[in-house]
Amino acid sequence: MSDPILQINHLSKSFGSNLVLRDIDFTVSTGDVISIIGASGSGKSTLLRCINLLETPTSGEIRYHGKNVLERGTKPASYRSHVGMVFQSFNLFNNMTVLDNCMVGQLRVLKRSREEARDRAMEYLEKVGMAPYVNAKPRQISGGQKQRVAIARAMAMDPEVLLFDEPTSALDPEMVGEVLSVMQTLAESGMTMLVVTHEMAFAREVSSRVVYMNDGVICEQGSPEDMFGHPQKQETIDFLSRFRK
Amino acid sequence: MNKFVQLLSDIAKLWAKYGGAYLGGIRNTLILALVGTLIGCVIGFICGVLNTIPYSKSDHPLKRFVLKLIQVIIRVYVEVFRGTPMVLQAVFLYYGLPYFTDNALKFTSVWAAAIVVVSINTGAYMAESVRGGIISVDPGQTEGAMAIGMNHVQTMTSVILPQALRNIMPQIGNNFIINVKDTSVMFIIGFTEFFAAHRAAVGASYLYFPSATIEMVGYLTMTLIASFLLRWMEKKMDGAGSYELVQTDQLTMTAGTYNFPGRGTPFDEQNPEAVKSMMRENLRRQAEQDEAIRQGRKTDRRLESGVSELGADRKEER
Repeated sequence: MSDPILQINHLSKSFGSNLVLRDIDFTVSTGDVISIIGASGSGKSTLLRCINLLETPTSGEIRYHGKNVLERGTKPASYRSHVGMVFQSFNLFNNMTVLDNCMVGQLRVLKRSREEARDRAMEYLEKVGMAPYVNAKPRQISGGQKQRVAIARAMAMDPEVLLFDEPTSALDPEMVGEVLSVMQTLAESGMTMLVVTHEMAFAREVSSRVVYMNDGVICEQGSPEDMFGHPQKQETIDFLSRFRK
Repeated sequence: MNKFVQLLSDIAKLWAKYGGAYLGGIRNTLILALVGTLIGCVIGFICGVLNTIPYSKSDHPLKRFVLKLIQVIIRVYVEVFRGTPMVLQAVFLYYGLPYFTDNALKFTSVWAAAIVVVSINTGAYMAESVRGGIISVDPGQTEGAMAIGMNHVQTMTSVILPQALRNIMPQIGNNFIINVKDTSVMFIIGFTEFFAAHRAAVGASYLYFPSATIEMVGYLTMTLIASFLLRWMEKKMDGAGSYELVQTDQLTMTAGTYNFPGRGTPFDEQNPEAVKSMMRENLRRQAEQDEAIRQGRKTDRRLESGVSELGADRKEER
């Protein structure tokens, strides 16, 4: 495949004496849709937050197009503008309307003109079906709608990779579908995505690679067919068996 | 009963003679309180922002030292000006400055002195309020801003401070109302605010109680109006409770205008924006249709292969 966008080498993270991630090696190439699954507390979210430098890894390196972003002197902000993130708790800016949420990053970080930012924001808001709500404040819309806006906000920055940190875990069951279908459309349009999820159906049907994490290490990874069809490791089998009764 | 009549007639007498002085006092009090609170807020915001600049062990030692030093200075400022009475601060500054500099440095007007004292005093209180306001904004807001590549300054100005400002509006209101009342100590440096008018009036008339009644009613009126206005401002800041759905009327937009996309129409030059939005609308409808088709397929597939599985997923999650 083409040269990887992200290359993670020997990444470790500990909170105090608690080792949350151990020696993670991991590559993301253009067009990959990678689902990271695993039990709660297995380090999935921490891995994602490390990749976006919201947590500082204890050791190891994160190479973005070959350049280690953990080195002193690299600006985390400019790196982050290429790596979008969608959070479990949406984190839309409460003081702005839906449209402003999608424009502010373009205006202030990418220094786009108002017209361009507006057009781009509208383009993605239409894609996620939130265009009619441009004037609403985040507190006025539902969880599923917020998450769709959050996706549009991240997409409007034209990121190379989009990280999803359990995007549907905070949603009521009836809203999960709308967010997943937006994500599926994105995946089909060729967006590179890294998704921490508990939605096994999504991991199986949409992703190109599934990574199973257990106890801070990548236990097993492979194509969805292999992972769900013939998992090799005992831990993976145990974990997945809990999802089919 | 005739005591009240007596009081009213005394008040009327006072008002006839010193009404202008009282009104002038009210004006000065309000201006001083307003300007002092506003400048105090600015000081408070600067202190609060400086106080919450994040730094970690991996930062340059000089940066850490400077930030630490700034925080110590702010801490001292806050403790000193919060911990001493404003009346003494006024005396200290107004008479202390010429005392120490042999008249080289002094306030030429009591206005300047009063404004400086009230501002600094308010700033000391606001510094802590602003710090609290910033801390109280959900950390997720910062993370959201960082995730789209904003730096600390951008995050602060676009996301955190507007929300912090809203959070501390009640505090700002508090400070303003306190200032309306507490500026009464500024008579000590000869500032003619509302309370100074009282002192002047009773000095000449000896009508202490009627004048005090005027003062009471006057202060209460000022603070009531102030708190009413502040509530209104807070509401204003929260914005509308409802929002308008934006929907373009496809029929009026496209009727009779859509001919040959490749060739273009005179409509193009006249209104490129309309054409753009029309094309966007078409794209959206196309996407919607695709979506509907895919949705249909997906449900079929799910029905075949895994409704029960999907249900199991959900159960696991809870």
